[in-house]
Amino acid sequence: MIRLYDYVLSASCYKIRLMAALLGVKLDQEAVDFHPGRAHKSVAFAQLNPAGTLPVLVDGDLILTESTAMLVYLAQLAGRDWLGPLDPKSAAQVQHWLAFSGRLAASLGMARLHDMLLYEGDIDAWRAQGHAALRELEAALSERRFAGGVWLVGDAPSIADIACFPNVALSQDGGVSLDAYPSVRLWTRAIRALDRFVEMPGIHRLHELRPAPEVA
Amino acid sequence: MTPRWIATGLSQDLPKAVAMAGHWQGQDLAVWRSATGRVQAWNDRCPHRGMRLSHGFVRGETLACIYHGWVYGADGVCKHIPAHPALTPPATIRVAAFACVEQDGVIWVAPADTVGAPVALRGLQPLRSISLTCDVAAVLAVEPALSGGDALRGLVQIGGQACEVCLLVQHNAAGLTLHALCAVGVDRIAASRWVEDLRRRAERKGAA
Ligand code: FES
Repeated sequence: MIRLYDYVLSASCYKIRLMAALLGVKLDQEAVDFHPGRAHKSVAFAQLNPAGTLPVLVDGDLILTESTAMLVYLAQLAGRDWLGPLDPKSAAQVQHWLAFSGRLAASLGMARLHDMLLYEGDIDAWRAQGHAALRELEAALSERRFAGGVWLVGDAPSIADIACFPNVALSQDGGVSLDAYPSVRLWTRAIRALDRFVEMPGIHRLHELRPAPEVA
Repeated sequence: MTPRWIATGLSQDLPKAVAMAGHWQGQDLAVWRSATGRVQAWNDRCPHRGMRLSHGFVRGETLACIYHGWVYGADGVCKHIPAHPALTPPATIRVAAFACVEQDGVIWVAPADTVGAPVALRGLQPLRSISLTCDVAAVLAVEPALSGGDALRGLVQIGGQACEVCLLVQHNAAGLTLHALCAVGVDRIAASRWVEDLRRRAERKGAA
């Protein structure tokens, strides 16, 4: 079975749990004491991942330490539709958003780690870079809407959407509001309404889709 | 003179059964659309503990608070308290409502006692709501074809053609939001890129 070294509050780890759930792939999840234990920085963990980052995905002799590579691997194994359309333009656009997700992690993701886990750094710069990235995402998603689309690339959700979703959906945790980004908000709703969607602390399935907790 | 009716969003950005944040002159509002399509604007504070109702969720014709799930009906009156299911909440537990109308694809809000209607915008289609960290003067300085105060209007060049646009101004703490409309028939992707470019130029001007 594919093993995921995981931390429940990590946006990047959630990205992989979400992708696996949407694909119907079962993961063997190994919780790593990221905070406060910093077990991912231990000498023992460095054998798996010298960079000391999470998540790490292990399948036999394959060890992956970059979450975008994990998305590609899972989609190749279990649902190639999730790779997005394969024409040159679309394939390049998928790569664009996979790389862009790194910018989201380096801005919105760091702002959240600062506010939640007391990471030190320039919080104003992280938030400003987060807004700059959200403006780009908003412009792209607005153009997709004008063309009748919902997703970042093509007519169906893809690894591009899943790569970008977690840090955007958690942006409030880092003090970055989505109020100014209507197309981004509607896109996060579309993802939260997907079949087999799974939650993490701070990201919920659309409440509207849950049965009302009515007491007779 | 401050206008009574302020544009707080575009209809296209508020589908059925969705709530979003809005505001009128610094007053935060929860703007939401019911399952049957009715749009309302309420004070964005839950009467229970003050949670933002714009973070709440719509079920049918009601808006529920995300925090403890108090449910408010179309008149703003609390209908249900999940922790006390047998209780009929007193009618005094009520969210203050603003006047809210949808016209030309724009969602307008005003104080509850407002009479009259917002300005009509014929021949225009909604484009995008976009936030800027500068003031109106910076926008007018970089785009001389525009004029106005609460609604910036004019003929601008989009994709090599003169095109009528209207930018409805909503002031906020960080600057302003422009609710942009353009002439019916204009390519909205090209118009959206024009708005992005306008923002970059205006913010650069505003920061100078
Ligand atoms: S704050 Fe809204 S229900 Fe408690």
